[in-house]
Amino acid sequence: MTPAEPVAAIPTDAALIAAWRGGDEPAAAELVRRHARALARFLAGAGALAADVDDLVQETFIRAFRGLGRFRGQCQFRTWLMTIGGNVLKDAHRRSRRSRLVPLGDDLRATDGDPHERAVAGEAERRLAAGLERLPRMQREVFLLRAQQGLEYDDIAAALGTTPGAARVHYHHAVRRLKEHMQ
Amino acid sequence: MNDDTRLHDDELREVAQRLGARAAERLDVERTAQAVVTRLRTEPRADVRVLGWIQPVWLRIAALLVLAAGAGVIARSLLHKPPEATALAAPAGAELSELSADQLRQVLEAVGQAGGEHETVSSQDVSLDDLSAPQLRALLEALEG
Repeated sequence: MTPAEPVAAIPTDAALIAAWRGGDEPAAAELVRRHARALARFLAGAGALAADVDDLVQETFIRAFRGLGRFRGQCQFRTWLMTIGGNVLKDAHRRSRRSRLVPLGDDLRATDGDPHERAVAGEAERRLAAGLERLPRMQREVFLLRAQQGLEYDDIAAALGTTPGAARVHYHHAVRRLKEHMQ
Repeated sequence: MNDDTRLHDDELREVAQRLGARAAERLDVERTAQAVVTRLRTEPRADVRVLGWIQPVWLRIAALLVLAAGAGVIARSLLHKPPEATALAAPAGAELSELSADQLRQVLEAVGQAGGEHETVSSQDVSLDDLSAPQLRALLEALEG
C-alpha cells in the first residue's frame, strides 16, 4: 500500500481573482487556462467565425480582467465571462458587418465515425447555428448558457441581469423556435 | 412534457454541446493565456470617458434627485404666498408681551411704513415761536372770529 500523496489545493476562481487583483500575473494566466475553451465554444456557438475565435477569446479576457471591479460574485466567474464574450462578439459584428452565420467549414466537419452519421451530425449543427442566428440575443445566450454550458438558471439570471423565471421563459422560447427551425 | 418532446430536447442539447467544440479544441490555451497576460501588462487601458465610470443607475438617481428638488422649490413657492397687510397686524386685543419676535418685527415695520406715508406734525409739537408772521396773523384773525 503506497502512502497517500498530499493533494495540492486547487485555488478557486475567487482566490485567483483576488490574487490577480493583488498583481499576481500567473493567477490571471490560470484563469485563462481554466475557462478559455468553454468561452471559445460559447463564442463559436453564438456565431463567431472560426478564424475570429482566438482574438475574441483574448479580447473577452482583457475586458473581464479590466472590469473585475464590477464582478461581485453575483454568479460564477465563467458565466460572467460569457456575458462579456457576448458583448465582445456583438461589438465585433458591428465593426465588421460580416455575416454571423457559421460557415460549414472545419468547425462543423467532423473527421471521425461513419460518413453518413458525420453528415447528419454536421447538418444538425449547421441548422442549429442558423437557428441560433435568428434568435434574439437574450434567447440565444440563455439557450447556450443552459444547453451548451450546462449552467443553472439562477446563475444565468444573475449574469444577465434578469430573474430565474424570465431566464427559464427565454430558454423555452428559444427551444421552441429552434425546434421549428430544425424540423 | 411527453417522452417524445423530452427526447427531442435532449437531442437539441447534444447538438448544442457539439457546437463550437472544434473551435475550442483548436484554441491554443497556453498561448492565449500568455498573450492575455502580456496585453494586460503592456497595453494601455482603453480611453476613459469623462462619465464612463459612473454607473447608469447613479445617473438616474441623480436625475431623480434634481427633479425632486425642482418640484420642491416650485411647491414651496406656491404654498408660501407673500404675507398680506392684514396678516402683519397683531391679533386684536393682544398684549405686546404676548407677541412673538417675528410678530413684533412685523408690527414695527408696519408702523414705520405708516409713519413714512403720513408725515403730519402734531399741534402739540408746534409752539408760537415756530410760526411765521403770516401764520401768526392768520391765527389771531381766527381767534377774533
